[in-house]
Amino acid sequence: MRHGLMLYFRLVGVQIRSQMQYRIPFLVEMASTGLITFASFATLALVFQRFEHIAGWNLGEVAFLYGMVETSFGVMDMLFSGFDPQNFGRQTRLGRFDQLMLRPVNLTVQVLGSEFILRRLGRIAQGTLVLVIALNWVDIHWTLAKLCYLPFVFIGQICFFGGLFIIGATISFWTLESIEFMNVFTYGGTEMMSYPATIYQDWLRKFFTYILPAVFINYYPALFILDKPDPFHMPAFASYLAPAAGFGVLAAALAFWRFGIQHYQSTGT
Amino acid sequence: MRLFFELARRSFQRQLTYRAATIAGLVTNFFFGVLRVAVLTAFYGVQAEVNGLSLQGAITFTGLTQAIIGYLSLFGWYEVMNSIYTGAVATDLLKPMGYYRFWMAQDLGRAVAQLVMRALPIMLAYAIFFPITWPKSVGQWLALVVAMALAWMISFSVRFLANLAGFWTPNALGFVRFAFILMYFLTGFLMPLRFFPDWFVRLCNLTPFPYIINTVVEIFLGVLTGPQIVVALLSQLGWVVILGVACQLILRAGVRRLVIQGG
Amino acid sequence: MTPIIRVHHLHKHFRLTRNRHGLLGAVRGLIAPEYRTVRAVDGISFDLARGELVGYLGPNGAGKSTTIKMLAGLLVPTSGEIVVNGHVPWRERQAYVARIGAVFGQRTTLWWDLPVSESLDLLQHIYKIPAQQFQRNLDEFRQLLGLDAFINTPVRALSLGQRMRADLCAALLHDPDLLFLDEPTIGLDVVAKERIRQFIQHVNRVRGTTVILTTHDLSDVEKLCERVMIIDHGRLLYDGKLEFLREKFGGKRQLVVDFAENYSDAPVDGAEIAGRDGNRVTYEFERRVIAASELIGRLSSQYRINDLEVREPDIESTIRRIYEEKLLENASDAAN
Repeated sequence: MRHGLMLYFRLVGVQIRSQMQYRIPFLVEMASTGLITFASFATLALVFQRFEHIAGWNLGEVAFLYGMVETSFGVMDMLFSGFDPQNFGRQTRLGRFDQLMLRPVNLTVQVLGSEFILRRLGRIAQGTLVLVIALNWVDIHWTLAKLCYLPFVFIGQICFFGGLFIIGATISFWTLESIEFMNVFTYGGTEMMSYPATIYQDWLRKFFTYILPAVFINYYPALFILDKPDPFHMPAFASYLAPAAGFGVLAAALAFWRFGIQHYQSTGT
Repeated sequence: MRLFFELARRSFQRQLTYRAATIAGLVTNFFFGVLRVAVLTAFYGVQAEVNGLSLQGAITFTGLTQAIIGYLSLFGWYEVMNSIYTGAVATDLLKPMGYYRFWMAQDLGRAVAQLVMRALPIMLAYAIFFPITWPKSVGQWLALVVAMALAWMISFSVRFLANLAGFWTPNALGFVRFAFILMYFLTGFLMPLRFFPDWFVRLCNLTPFPYIINTVVEIFLGVLTGPQIVVALLSQLGWVVILGVACQLILRAGVRRLVIQGG
Repeated sequence: MTPIIRVHHLHKHFRLTRNRHGLLGAVRGLIAPEYRTVRAVDGISFDLARGELVGYLGPNGAGKSTTIKMLAGLLVPTSGEIVVNGHVPWRERQAYVARIGAVFGQRTTLWWDLPVSESLDLLQHIYKIPAQQFQRNLDEFRQLLGLDAFINTPVRALSLGQRMRADLCAALLHDPDLLFLDEPTIGLDVVAKERIRQFIQHVNRVRGTTVILTTHDLSDVEKLCERVMIIDHGRLLYDGKLEFLREKFGGKRQLVVDFAENYSDAPVDGAEIAGRDGNRVTYEFERRVIAASELIGRLSSQYRINDLEVREPDIESTIRRIYEEKLLENASDAAN
């Protein structure tokens, strides 16, 4: 366990150093990954000029939803780059996973350490910027409880998205072709979580409540922090479920991952 | 010309073998479409029409844009850049057809396959699940076909042009990605351009980007009529020519650089 | 002594999608895929003693790499038994792989953007190699493989031969009992090949490491292995001494000579003329009858020679001969 942790930091350190070697491309890519986040937000802001609000939420409130998700997804994307479904599938086809299996170290640690994409800092920075703007526009009545809860919401979101990446990576053991499909959960998840849950059709919202507990990850914490009433009349603790839902998804994903490795060992590529 | 169509046919068939990817792609496109229908419906609220676009039109817009992502390769296409990096470009340049046409042929096959395997099923699924509009006259359908073809050519040239950056730097990925980000926002993919403030739309219209998607969408929805359609198609044609020439010129400069530096 | 590897009735079957031809086939495949079973490894048994260096040969798709993957613990067999070093490879993965080393073809295990030395340092931590042992091994391999010339170069900038040397070093730093080498000389020039062969020989003879070598290059096998195993269609066609294989089934060797003059006929004892093209004459001779050096000696005493080249019968054709002519008893089973 300690060996694994030490090794993880060593592997990540190596990644960071080698990425810093190419300074200019690094900066360009960092800027361009971040640009998507901010440009999406700018687009939204421009469209809001015509519509003013969506389902009773104004631009600032939607920006809060969006900023939270973008920031935590960006952090996750940096930490879990090794599991990025697109990348993981390609690496596996190239035999990289075989090589990890030949080393006497826990596979999860190795995959986490195999990729650490520092340029995601661009996205994190832009997400944070949107969040800061949102906090400026929205008048939040901060309480101690809200301040203490916020970090746990972030951790819950990071675990949640990390779990989705792991599930996507695991599925690529089976499909081997491109698995654009996982975008439904990852990028679809972020997109879906950037808007108030009331706008979605019933079946979609139920899916993201009971099967993939996405609404508890962002929407309910936001209701709590922004002091908005719950239109679905869930029990009050629904707002505090973010960490539990995040850990739950991550744990389920890791179990699936172990199952996937067994499958991989019986079929190869 | 026979070689051109032979290349296109092969690339078409290659696309058909990506079975899981196709089904996964359909599910993905449809799902994102559903999300975006929800967002636009909520934005409309009780309004029936926003800047000349009805809610039904807006819903059709989400379906149509999802349907043609694959056809236009909106989310990324790095093949030319990769072939420069792997050195495959050297043998491809020796082929008995221009490098630009060589890739255009293959992209045509890919695009047509995407049209059949992606665009049609998605539009049909949309027609089943959502109230959408279809072009109403033969003229409109004809204009749509022409606009779609020209849109593909503009999209191909823009992508090809961005990929050529690979001749100048071993790290063009960031640059090419940047080009795709521009496509994402300025084509009118993310939101109908009509929803934006007028100054922003005028700015967009100075670039080739709106002619890749927005023109197709507005012809499909019948927002453009009569002479407006003719102007739109002529603008598209203009960009096809300008970008085609730009591709050839920059390609030539890139090849010269490759020859001098020995790759 | 107990064998280091014991393989018993090993099978590995895969289920693959069948690709249909033509446009219509492609569309049908999209809707209703068809499957077929491939028996990549179809009942293989062998033992390997500690300290052996064995060549594992076969044409592409014969089941070579599937076998190696099972031995290395990457794949679980459909049926049959493997015990390596007291372990069943795919169980207790971490404990097992700590005791083996592997170099798989043209893929590097090193970190692409890191200097070789830093990759090796990382491996020290991955395998938990005690500092003293690491230093001792590194010093030895640096000298034998001539790593110093490029030890501070990033892996991406290395030539194929340099990378292979670095990978060999990386695979052996932790003193594995068993080393898997998959095509270690593929794509290398003669000098680089020779250096790598000498190193493999050193590792086997001096360090006592058991080595399994898969290769297309019969001269690798000839210089290194006493024992060879030949696999085709998932079955072992031959398992025994190389000498016997070459003598019996190797076919004829060729000597291509460019003469300095145009001889109307250039007969020599022990070889037959198989073809001629201007001043170039191709002789065929049997290994049992005459050695290449002897033949060259005879020729050069009789004629003026500009250049010559010895051509070995390649492994593909040797295997084909064994296979098609049913030269071995069990070859008849394999044909079914």
